[in-house]
Amino acid sequence: MAVCFLRRIEDRQTWHMVPRRINHMNISFLLNGETVHLSDVHPTTTLLDWLRETRGLTGTKEGCNEGDCGACTVIVLDAETTRPLNACILFLPQLQGKAIRTIEGIASGDTLHPAQQAMIDLHGSQCGFCTPGFVTSMVAAGINGDTDFDTTLAGNLCRCTGYAPIARAAKHTETAPLPDWVATDRQALAACAKAALTAAQPGSGDALAALLVDQPQTRLIAGATDLGLWVTKHLTDLGPVAFLNAARDLAQITETDTHWDIGAMVTIETLRLWAVDHMPALADLLRRYASTQVRMAATLGGNIANGSPIGDSPPALIALGATLTLRRGDTRRTIPLQDFFIDYGKQDLQPSEFVQSIQIPKTDHDLRCYKISKRFDQDISALLGCFNIRVDANTIQDAKIAFGGMAGIPKRASAVERALMGQPWSLDTITAAHSAWAEDFQPLSDMRASAGYRLTTARNLLVRYFHDRAATPTSVHEVTV
Amino acid sequence: MAKDTANELRIVGTRPDRPDGLDKVTGRARYGADISAAGLLHGAVVRSPHAHARIVKIDASKALALSGVKAVVTRADFPTGLTGEAWDLQENTMAGERALYDGHAVAAVAATSAQLARDAAKLIEVEYEILPHVTDVDAAMAPDAPIIREGAADHSVPEGLHPNVVRYIEFGHGDLEAGFAQADIVREHQYKTEAAHQGYIEPHACMGQMGADGKGEMWVCTQGHWFIRKMCTQVLGLDASQLRVTPSEIGGGFGGKTTIFMEPLSLALSRKAGGRPVKIVMSRSEVLRATGPTASASMDVKIGMTKDGKITAGSATFRMQGGAFAGAPVDMALYCAFAAYKVPALQHVGYDVLANRPKAAAYRAPGSPMAAFAVESLVDEMCTELGLDPLEVRVKNAAQSHETSSFGPKFGVIGLNETLAATQAHPNLSVPLGPNQGRGIASGFWFNHGGDTSVSMALGEDGTVTVSIGTPDIGGSRASMAMMAAETLQIPYDNVRVNIVETGALGVNEPTHGSRATFATGKATVEAAQSMIVEMCKRAAAKWGIEPEAVEWRDGAAHPAGPNAGEYPPMTIGEIGAAMSNTGGPIAGHHESVPAGVGESFGTHVVDVEVDPETGRTTILRYLVVQDAGRAIHPAYVEGQYQGGAVQGIGWALNEEYVYDDMGRLQNPVFLDYRVPVASDLPMIDTVIVEVPNPGHPYGVRGVGETGIAPPLPAVANAVAAATGVRMRHLPITPSKLLSAIKASKNG
Repeated sequence: MAVCFLRRIEDRQTWHMVPRRINHMNISFLLNGETVHLSDVHPTTTLLDWLRETRGLTGTKEGCNEGDCGACTVIVLDAETTRPLNACILFLPQLQGKAIRTIEGIASGDTLHPAQQAMIDLHGSQCGFCTPGFVTSMVAAGINGDTDFDTTLAGNLCRCTGYAPIARAAKHTETAPLPDWVATDRQALAACAKAALTAAQPGSGDALAALLVDQPQTRLIAGATDLGLWVTKHLTDLGPVAFLNAARDLAQITETDTHWDIGAMVTIETLRLWAVDHMPALADLLRRYASTQVRMAATLGGNIANGSPIGDSPPALIALGATLTLRRGDTRRTIPLQDFFIDYGKQDLQPSEFVQSIQIPKTDHDLRCYKISKRFDQDISALLGCFNIRVDANTIQDAKIAFGGMAGIPKRASAVERALMGQPWSLDTITAAHSAWAEDFQPLSDMRASAGYRLTTARNLLVRYFHDRAATPTSVHEVTV
Repeated sequence: MAKDTANELRIVGTRPDRPDGLDKVTGRARYGADISAAGLLHGAVVRSPHAHARIVKIDASKALALSGVKAVVTRADFPTGLTGEAWDLQENTMAGERALYDGHAVAAVAATSAQLARDAAKLIEVEYEILPHVTDVDAAMAPDAPIIREGAADHSVPEGLHPNVVRYIEFGHGDLEAGFAQADIVREHQYKTEAAHQGYIEPHACMGQMGADGKGEMWVCTQGHWFIRKMCTQVLGLDASQLRVTPSEIGGGFGGKTTIFMEPLSLALSRKAGGRPVKIVMSRSEVLRATGPTASASMDVKIGMTKDGKITAGSATFRMQGGAFAGAPVDMALYCAFAAYKVPALQHVGYDVLANRPKAAAYRAPGSPMAAFAVESLVDEMCTELGLDPLEVRVKNAAQSHETSSFGPKFGVIGLNETLAATQAHPNLSVPLGPNQGRGIASGFWFNHGGDTSVSMALGEDGTVTVSIGTPDIGGSRASMAMMAAETLQIPYDNVRVNIVETGALGVNEPTHGSRATFATGKATVEAAQSMIVEMCKRAAAKWGIEPEAVEWRDGAAHPAGPNAGEYPPMTIGEIGAAMSNTGGPIAGHHESVPAGVGESFGTHVVDVEVDPETGRTTILRYLVVQDAGRAIHPAYVEGQYQGGAVQGIGWALNEEYVYDDMGRLQNPVFLDYRVPVASDLPMIDTVIVEVPNPGHPYGVRGVGETGIAPPLPAVANAVAAATGVRMRHLPITPSKLLSAIKASKNG
């Protein structure tokens, strides 16, 4: 989802078949209240395939098999969280120790969940194929107390209704009481004996470091919102894999005197919720990162480590002056985030090394992020501009400007920054920096936008940043959310 | 005759829960891919990665060597000698000598698991000789364009045109030159629309089983299972009666599920695999690459208008490619082009052009959205130039009931005047607009359709009723049929169950397409109910010993018609059902026909947009659909059709398009890149249901499904023009295109 320079071409003749490995994993979870133990599944079996083909639970639908349509949305609970997730890009080992509710397990006995009843009463189904996914999204939102239906529904496509009756049903569901199974599932999880983790399920950063030193070729799976597509769309055999969901120490946000330290396994949604209080501009940007389902699965470390030129978090973090801590065995090194991205498809990551955490300095900032895409939600950025300019006495003291979608990597606008430094903070200065943009960026034309559009819009965004900072009403209401 | 007033109706016009509501919210509804069977095999399709290539050799030996692979089929497994449309269907199902588009099927394999089938498909080696290709409609007509299929043109095509032009159409009336001469201004522009996909969320899926005796079964998600039966048996050289097709629940179709794609492959694979059932489920990429998107269009429109807004003459020349086969809806587009107007002189010319793209299928009012975009854009532009109110101009020129239409036939009773009046009266039109905001207005039209229809109905022993229909329920039509049956029989809605039955259980039915189900199946349902009422009255008459004519049906019971008939207590439908074994046996009603009396539907849309002048992004602020439904049986589902059509049109106007690269490969065959609108892209779509009853339907129904997709294309473009002063004549209006156009207009 976050990486889409990968060509999604299947059925092409360039594919080579690789024998499919089975490395055994112990997985136990609750499915609609029943305990399930698995030990002989292929680790990249998706929850969707397993539900439909092995368990005969066909209420969970496949519409796209890549996390775009939400027809396969299921609810995944653990002690703290309730997450609507796309079952099509969720591998079974990621469910270790979780409770899953599919559409078949949403009602309490014969009593429909209010979301189900509202979809009937308000005529929210036409063809009904997307209905299970919408219902599960609404139920999860209800449990989490989310009341913005655009957010709740952003990851679910409906082609029949134009969304109006579904939005009404979502609104209606906001006041629904907590389903009884939330408590019973959590009790059962707490009582449930934990399955012994195998080597491919490291339980800590230390265990992961040891595993990678021992087996450097291991491919790491965090949220699988990108790697999942390698399996479901490219039919790639990922080879030896390790699942990081058990390494909870990598999923912490900690604070020091100088910075916040965000663990690589912190999900985008967790980061967003944290940022609402600490960095609203970052929170606003992350609200537009894919959809609720994807944000709840995708991790910050994954968004950085895959090196995508159009990942949404790196430009903002670069503009904030973030650093990255990489670990190999017991050795750690910290580098500026922007230096991690060397070239398209090439990152500063040594064998056996992994992204441990990201540090965001606690310095004052005036970050603003502008994501330009055709749709507000669920879209890849055509370009993403993040600006953080420090002005004292109307003079530009420091400028950090980073863009996604303008080069093969997330990239700073160094020439523009130089042109601004020490100059008065004015539209004249911005106009004078006009030619520097082409020095920094020679963007490509693709189906999302032309090169000319990208460059023009990038320049325009600095003007918008100027007006936004001055709180001058700009000509448009929307861009920063 | 249509009922005069809604007051007489007890059920029609209410909003009961749909019969399949519970199934759909609990996951119990079974769609195409939800089927399984003992001995099931899974099929996968090998598809051409080339836009145009000769198939030199297909070697399946490596696939067949895998344990668990049970059959491989290629075109060599299909009968030869087909002609016309049957050949087109067969060729599109499985390429013969040449692959004609990116995604064209060249082989298929069946294996014991879906994974194994996909793996085996990759092991089938196809050697191609790449041929020159063309994907753009104008380029495909150019003298140097590669010839896609020699001899594909029919007799309609004049000499001297490129062989890729396979059909030609021309019609009109009046003195065009004189008409343009009477105009104060005459304007002419070219418009283009790109191919869009129906975008149903359920990928195509089927399970076919075919024995060596030629007897077969199929489970399939489709809008019309008799079409599936006819097409599959044609393509495979079978007797229609030997294939029984059962429709699954359908996860959206919008016209795209009215034809065959991989269905015959499952039958061919099954036959070769000893009659084991074979299930094939398409991936999203296969759906986008290899099913039936719309045509793309290149259109010239010329209109003459007087200063006071009278349209004096118009001409439309449309070129459309519908893939590598004839069938782009250029004729329909031309019929729709000026349908909303009464114009003294009109000329229409159309070219159906081949290109190396998938064979177009129907998509909601095929052809009408493109035509509306071109004509309604130009009308709007001329209104702006002349300083006229675009709604007033539409009122002034509006087509009228019982008058000759722009495309020849006389209209029946139409509700265009009422629709325009309801639009003028709507509060959305007086909402003030801010900077960079604009309002766009456009009308649209669809003929609607009757088609082969067969319905039967049976009385249960307890007086409840089952209705058997042959049109799959996509948007709540089971509820509408139950309502019309219950209304006619005067029994409670909940006492009627409607089933969509397999091909063996009824006469031939056309699909749920052309906005026909509520009209045609509904009319047949009412007729069937009336025939059952006749029989029930007979039973009562026999019991009472009076003439059947002396019995009348009301409140769900037989009554003596008057004092002369005798004094008998009413016999309820329950009593008649309980006694039927002793009064002559089972009671059923049925009706078969091609219903006449189709009522055309017009709609007018009003959209307010805001354009970001710095990024070129268009935001829909508010949206109004006003459309004539004749009579809304279940208003919630009528509104659903209006809203759904509008949103598909908005997507087509702003974002959706097929993007091919230089090699003719589709660049965006996934939902992430083929951008259908999500909830946050849209306001709540406002609707007004205008009801000008159609006299051709017992309750006044007009079809409502299709018209709603036509007006959004021009309405959005007109609103963008009002907001920016820039006229976008090539859809979609992407931020990139719009920003360039805004810049160019400033520099110009």
